[in-house]
Amino acid sequence: MIFVFDGAMGTMLQQEGLAPGYCPELWNVENPAAVTAIHSRYVESGADIIEANTFGANRIKLTHYGLADRVTELNKAAVKAARAACGSQTKVAGSVGPTGKFIAPLGELSFDAAYDVYFEQIAALNAAGVDMIIIETIIDIQEMRAALLAAKAATAKPVVCQLSFGADGRTLTGTDPRTAAVVLEAMGADIVGANCSLGPAQLLPVVAELAAACGLPVSVQPNAGMPELVNGQTVFPMGPAEMGAWTAKLVAAGATYLGGCCGTTPEHIKAIRTALAAGIQPAARAADVRTALTSRSQTVYLGAGLPTVIIGERINPTGRKALAAEIREGSFAAVKREALEQVNAGAKVLDVNMGVPGIDQAAAMAAAVTELSVLVDVPLAIDTTDAAALEAGLKAFPGRALINSVSAEPDRLEQFLPLAKKYGAAVLCLPIAPGGVPATADERVKIAGDIVRAALAAGLRPQDLLLDPLVLTVAADARAAQETLATLRAYRRHFGFPAVMGLSNVSYGLPRRDLMNATFCAMALDAGLDAPILNPYDPAMRNMLSAAAAILGHDPQGQLYSTANAGITGTAAAAPAPPADVLAAVKQAVTSGQKEAVAALVRQALTEGHSPLAVTDRSLTAAMNEVGEAFGKGRCFLPQVMLAAETMRAAFLTLKEELPSHRADSLGTVVLATVRGDIHDLGKNIVAALMENNGIRVVDLGKDVPAEVIVAAAEKEKADIVGLCALMTTTMPQIDTAIAALKAAGNPARTIVGGAVLTADYAAQAGADAYAGNGVEAVNIAKRLLGK
Amino acid sequence: MQSYNPPLTRVDKEETRRYAGLSGVAAFPEQLLETACGDALLLARPRSVWNIYPYASATGIIAAPTPLHLSGDKIRRHLDGAKEAAVLAVTIGPALEEEVSRLFAAGEYTAGLLLDAAGTAAVEQAADAANHYIADQAARRGLKARNRFSPGYGDWAITDQPAVAALADGNHVALAVTPSCMLVPRKSVTALIGLAPATVREDNLCDSRGCASCPQANCIARRELS
Repeated sequence: MIFVFDGAMGTMLQQEGLAPGYCPELWNVENPAAVTAIHSRYVESGADIIEANTFGANRIKLTHYGLADRVTELNKAAVKAARAACGSQTKVAGSVGPTGKFIAPLGELSFDAAYDVYFEQIAALNAAGVDMIIIETIIDIQEMRAALLAAKAATAKPVVCQLSFGADGRTLTGTDPRTAAVVLEAMGADIVGANCSLGPAQLLPVVAELAAACGLPVSVQPNAGMPELVNGQTVFPMGPAEMGAWTAKLVAAGATYLGGCCGTTPEHIKAIRTALAAGIQPAARAADVRTALTSRSQTVYLGAGLPTVIIGERINPTGRKALAAEIREGSFAAVKREALEQVNAGAKVLDVNMGVPGIDQAAAMAAAVTELSVLVDVPLAIDTTDAAALEAGLKAFPGRALINSVSAEPDRLEQFLPLAKKYGAAVLCLPIAPGGVPATADERVKIAGDIVRAALAAGLRPQDLLLDPLVLTVAADARAAQETLATLRAYRRHFGFPAVMGLSNVSYGLPRRDLMNATFCAMALDAGLDAPILNPYDPAMRNMLSAAAAILGHDPQGQLYSTANAGITGTAAAAPAPPADVLAAVKQAVTSGQKEAVAALVRQALTEGHSPLAVTDRSLTAAMNEVGEAFGKGRCFLPQVMLAAETMRAAFLTLKEELPSHRADSLGTVVLATVRGDIHDLGKNIVAALMENNGIRVVDLGKDVPAEVIVAAAEKEKADIVGLCALMTTTMPQIDTAIAALKAAGNPARTIVGGAVLTADYAAQAGADAYAGNGVEAVNIAKRLLGK
Repeated sequence: MQSYNPPLTRVDKEETRRYAGLSGVAAFPEQLLETACGDALLLARPRSVWNIYPYASATGIIAAPTPLHLSGDKIRRHLDGAKEAAVLAVTIGPALEEEVSRLFAAGEYTAGLLLDAAGTAAVEQAADAANHYIADQAARRGLKARNRFSPGYGDWAITDQPAVAALADGNHVALAVTPSCMLVPRKSVTALIGLAPATVREDNLCDSRGCASCPQANCIARRELS
């Protein structure tokens, strides 16, 4: 069956006389006849479902009109007005629109507050007797999750979830149709769809992607084309006939609920109805029932035949004192860094464990998940034994998470499975029963079966389930690893759900754990492991996984493997020629910025009998001269100069450590300052760094420095040169002021000026001795002024 | 006032490379750039606020409670035909620039320089995200959003900065303006986005994305225009 929704309400109300800026929902009580008349026109045009005039009837939106206390009244009146227009077959949907506020961390609204706002409205719509709820025009998946949860709590009636997608095929906060479909289907939406923002042409691929990603009916309510503002009025260019012509294509793409959004009229709906009457049939659908996890913006599939999914194990304070201490203090800096690095290392899912004794784990989990949800775009596995922490994590995560894990213990089944169902999470079943840890594969299969049955009874679907074969320590039990592998094979035979397991237990107490873990993982991949939980930084593991991907056919012809490993046996021909002697090697280390290598080379040079002066002149100074020359000729660039400067600094420090009596003579003293009012000091910092590494003594006064402070410092430090920096047109005159003050004080220091807006002409008129266009130039000028 | 904290799950490495003055440089360790982008992600706290006001093209006045008369031919030309102006303030907060200062003080010059560049990329990305939202919301009303234009671009006097920040309600994201019209935190952006009927011809509008209208011809981050 194909069903037809109605079209726009707001523009129709305005045509009936609703003044711009007046609350549309207020007409439900002030002018219900006009509202009913519009509904009637849609019913007459062939709409099967009409939407009550309640799009903005939530507490937050009504606050703008001072009507926040009339939510129930306005929603009930709207349903009454709609019902008055219904034919015997017409259904009334309660329309639920956005609050207009972002949920934290994207905005200030809390998830719970959003939930309450939606619950209040949807409960009113339910009490008023709607046939279904349609949550629509939502641009953020987290807001949709709050609204859907509220709807499932407030009513048993069907819920339609329609997001609003942009021209790039994503919602404004980054969710693609596939991810939206996976999340919303798992959470119990009855229909998923798209409306508003775009016309039918742009929504066609969105409908196709929604239909491909889930088994739910798909709805679509496009605008009548893309709006244009003409003579102060928003005009939608697509006429009814053209809208009708899109009907067949939208149905072919997978839609079975069609209607209109902004700019559509009863005539548009009639055109859709007429097109359907020509015999259009719903498209055949093959629901994608693979197991999927999502973040806000990305879906990851797991299972047989799919690439191995690495689940990063490292966000876990167990045995990591520093991480535990940070979490205890409420700081998530280390957690965030760990997450980012694991994703960079190839983790596709991150396990998050906040198991620090004595803390509020629920609060910590909520905070960590919230932070991670805007930092990395991978799904999370919530790893906790605390039901409150689990719920806090699931609530905060704007995607479909994995629950790691659910054992067959009664408490765990009773508490965790309903939470998985409520929040649409997938569940990792861990075959541990109250009797203890099962030793054999047969026992594990039996216990896993018990958890699976309990999960399905709790309303979870097969694609919500993953199985853990249980990994025990081979050092304690010679058969431990073999039983795990046997369990994986049995799982594949008996269930077919994706298999997930942590590896590291296997190697406890043994040397070369990396070798043991990687070998075990390779064997487990063959036995049916789909997603190992591991340390993604482990090189042995990374190499093994790269090879395994080729062997298992996920990397056709080993192309990625070849790319990654081709360099390992590369010829020496590509490497630069080795330096002739150690002084040349030091020089090359500085020019190429090998900060870590230079210290050893300097020590080697001293050991070989080269004097500190020789190292300084023939290696370090020569290198910086070469770098400066290359910079001047455009052959190298500022960051490279800075790398060389750092390397030179490391070399000097080594010289000082090795020969404390050695002191490089200073070329002179430069006082540097960013002038009063200017707070941008990056350029000045660069100049300071370069000068210091060229043997000049630098007194850096910092930023926003008044002229009198500059004069005083120049006198106190007996400055040879004063370097002044200004970045903005507004602070440039302070250059003049500072130079004038130096001259007025009779200070003999020469002046160099620079900064983004300064020019040589300006420098000249301000009375400066020199203008430097960049840091390297500044050093060269300083050396010249110092007579070096 | 509307607000949005745009999620930032990556900092653009190529933009960071450009802001660091490394455009076209092949022989530079990629790892250093990647570290800078990663650190910027960890340190950035993107926040944005804006208000949308009526705009009178003929007079160049933004009709806010405290009206702002735009000083500058280029900004006036850029907004020509716009009915409304979104006044936007975006920041990634102070943590990143504090780390840049710490790095320089510790002699980690390259890391400091690259992190500063990554911070610029991050705040521009955050501004792009807010801009995208504003443009999308305007499109629903039949209005097309122009590129954003900031005080100091072209001949628009930087001295309008305090007024622009105030019109955006920048204080709600802890954005301040110094007496010399600089934004604090430094990794912040204020801008105007003209909202014009899509039917208004735009042939004569100047390119506003910084580089074309910026007089700093020797800037290391200057985008080469074809």
